[in-house]
Amino acid sequence: MTRLTRARLAPALLIAVAGLAAGCGSSSSEKSSSKGGTNPGGAEIGKGKQGGDVTYLAAADVDFLDPGQTYYTFGFMVRDATNRSLYGFKPGEEGPSPDLAASDPQISPDKKTITIKMKPGVKFSAPVNRAATSKDVKYAIERAFTANVPNGYASSYFAEIQGAPAKPISIKKLKPFSGLQTPDDQTLIIKLTKPVAPRVAAALVLPISVPVPESYAKKFDAQTPSTYDQHVVFTGPYQVKHDASGKVTGRRPGKLIEIERNPNWDKSTDYRPAFLDSIRIEEGNDDQTVATRRTISGQSLMCCDSGQPPIPILKRALTRYKDQLGRVASGGTRWIAMNMTIKPFDNLNVRKAIVAGFNRSALRLTRGGAAVGPIAQGYIPPGIPGYDESGGTKGFGDTLDFMKNPEGDAALAKKYMLAAKKQGVPVSSDGKYAGKGGILTIATNADPGLSTAQVGQQEFSKLGFKLNFRKVPQDTLYTKFCGIPKAKVAVCPNVGWFKDFVDPESMLEPTFDGKAIKPAGNVNWSQLDDPKINAAMAKAALIEQGDARNKAWAEINKQIVAQAPGIPYSWDDSFQLESKDVNGIMNGNFTTWDLSFSSLK
Amino acid sequence: MAIFIIRRLLWSVVLLVFVTFLTFLIFVVLPSADPALLRAGRNPTPEIIASIRKTLGLDQPWYVQYFKYLRNLVLHFDFGYSYQNFLSVKETIFPRMPATISLALGGAVVWLLIGIPVGILSAVKRGTFIERFAMGAALVGISAPVYWLGLVSIYLFSTDIGKFPIFDATGNYANPWDDFGRWLSSLILPWIVLAVSFAAIYARFMRSNLIEVLDEDYIRTARAKGLVERRVILRHGVRSAITPIVTIFGLDLGILLGGAILTETVFNIPGIGRTAFDAIQKSDLPVVQGTVLIGATAIVLFNLIVDVLYGFIDPRVRY
Repeated sequence: MTRLTRARLAPALLIAVAGLAAGCGSSSSEKSSSKGGTNPGGAEIGKGKQGGDVTYLAAADVDFLDPGQTYYTFGFMVRDATNRSLYGFKPGEEGPSPDLAASDPQISPDKKTITIKMKPGVKFSAPVNRAATSKDVKYAIERAFTANVPNGYASSYFAEIQGAPAKPISIKKLKPFSGLQTPDDQTLIIKLTKPVAPRVAAALVLPISVPVPESYAKKFDAQTPSTYDQHVVFTGPYQVKHDASGKVTGRRPGKLIEIERNPNWDKSTDYRPAFLDSIRIEEGNDDQTVATRRTISGQSLMCCDSGQPPIPILKRALTRYKDQLGRVASGGTRWIAMNMTIKPFDNLNVRKAIVAGFNRSALRLTRGGAAVGPIAQGYIPPGIPGYDESGGTKGFGDTLDFMKNPEGDAALAKKYMLAAKKQGVPVSSDGKYAGKGGILTIATNADPGLSTAQVGQQEFSKLGFKLNFRKVPQDTLYTKFCGIPKAKVAVCPNVGWFKDFVDPESMLEPTFDGKAIKPAGNVNWSQLDDPKINAAMAKAALIEQGDARNKAWAEINKQIVAQAPGIPYSWDDSFQLESKDVNGIMNGNFTTWDLSFSSLK
Repeated sequence: MAIFIIRRLLWSVVLLVFVTFLTFLIFVVLPSADPALLRAGRNPTPEIIASIRKTLGLDQPWYVQYFKYLRNLVLHFDFGYSYQNFLSVKETIFPRMPATISLALGGAVVWLLIGIPVGILSAVKRGTFIERFAMGAALVGISAPVYWLGLVSIYLFSTDIGKFPIFDATGNYANPWDDFGRWLSSLILPWIVLAVSFAAIYARFMRSNLIEVLDEDYIRTARAKGLVERRVILRHGVRSAITPIVTIFGLDLGILLGGAILTETVFNIPGIGRTAFDAIQKSDLPVVQGTVLIGATAIVLFNLIVDVLYGFIDPRVRY
């Protein structure tokens, strides 16, 4: 068996695109945050004062406490402090570390078997009060394939486990997976139907590998949907308050989550220092300006569950409150998608003309400008392998002329429009689009996305494109329009994709692989379906992590950019604020505060 | 009277059923977000979407979904489960009622205490500086949106970020039986903000009603009989002028008990209004239905109370 190093394990992360805020411009650094992030006031990771209580101001609620169901950043943050998965991320480190696991996963030469050894003595909270075993992890993975525990990624990243059902089944029909073997309490063997062990091992950082005690949870899982969410047991340094029966009492949805120390946690088994005594998450702080101001001027406060403070606050914080501002690369790209199945965007020269003529710098201003990160030059963002190989902040401008000038190049745009004219696209002699009818554009109805869309509309109009501009709420935009190919939306100005894994495949495959186009929930918004690119992705997916893989995906990135499926414009960072007396630590995995490492001064 | 109340209650049930139907229809017809897709995460497989759709009952025709909702509501008083987190809607909404009731009743007391006396004073002191000042202030009060007034008051008076830190403004709400002091201090500013526009409206309404009443013959008669002016105004004038105000007060209070969305959102008061706001944003129909039903019930109930009260206030009204 070969040993998969920690650096090769790919961390998983999900960011709710809708949750990321922004604003206007600045002129400082063009650089993105370092991969590990910047902790305010030079806070040192792993060092802090023991004890104290912190209040975290949030707008929304976590999606779920149940590790089998949670899927978004805020939920990941709470989960990481309260429940341990097989592998996790220490703040400031690029690769994952064994958490519940005792060591890195062992992968067989045929890449079809993964063996994981677990630490002994990691105990569940009351009322279970016993050590977690490999059988608990096995059950946790199995239950995520049932309709009772709807899991958003089990069938994407773990579908190759032998015996896993192809589609969610009732928990009553659940049979033990032949591909999950537990020869003893500390060993989990995962058998796969395909040689995808590196990817599956990488995905073990996800909450799906948090152990769930079957004997305790099965009565809750028998409900449809499972009610284990309200009776979760914990293995982490903290627990959400609960009564003697295990019923969670410390979560009042939309109001409050009360987190306290888990008396069953054994520090000697964990890398988390867990300085704080308690964390109180106050929800409903919808007004970000009030919440961030409270944080800056208050005591023992951390903020917020969105990606950025409001821009006026952020701009002031970048200069006046640097010591209270945490920053970490969000690992995502924002772009305006053009639907390549709809005229005139089915023409490559038209798309190139649009990208060439667009003032992408103006687009980025709507998201915060240079101060929050560089202009996107492709679809592999900073912090993701393949970024440097894709030319970093310079991108492919040397070889792809239409990407060279982020301020827009009117002459080049005209050249491409006239080239399109020769191919039968209605274009006037001065290089303006002369087609009839509006181009259906669905934009979000709230800032900063609305501002981005409006700037985009202005840029399109420079080349004669008249957008039929419709505004809808962000969720509606994705679930009823841009994510539904049948809706035939020509331009989606508010799309973005943030890392699932610190791996280029997770950035490019869902968003630009023709095979990934789906009738609903589609995220290949441009509907790019190029056989050459599809084949290159299939080939690159089998390459092991390392230079060869990074180069292969960088080349695919270039091929995608060359097709001009969209107008990439921002690689912005995630920012968080804290009170003066807080020693906050950012975690690059879930791009927000790490509650287990943060402390009071 | 009893027959009247029973008849009204029966009609109320019909009305509430209609309201639930209308909410359901609006949700189905308008292009709101797809709850199954929202729940499934950002890159779901068709199988997981189908599974979630089935779990939520969204795979059935809308009228079947509505019938099941109605059946559970009527037979089991079950409001269903949130699409977002699968938590019971009843358990989500009902614990929030004390916050909304506290806000609405407290606000109502404040606006009545301000609005009615100012209205009376303006009517009695017609043409004076007092009237002009009071009505000018009322105009400002009506014109100021609650969310703006709320934010300004937070920036001015809240203990954490205010220039003149006096009140615990945001995120400090506690139920009165848990911490009475905190409950009181967290609601003073919201009460005032909520009451400003209502007080202004009530003052103007009271003034115009009273002016009209004071021109009536029976008022002249009362004065001719030698009654003191105070008694004429309060006993004969105000009693008559206040009747229409009771009507709008009942409606206003009912609406607020269904959730003062803006005030609750600005001050982060965990009431029904904020729940409704969150649920609408997330296309969480069962929670939206629950909050609408609570709101509609409050309005219907207070209308009934107002109608019954009429019988006591206005001797001409008999049931």
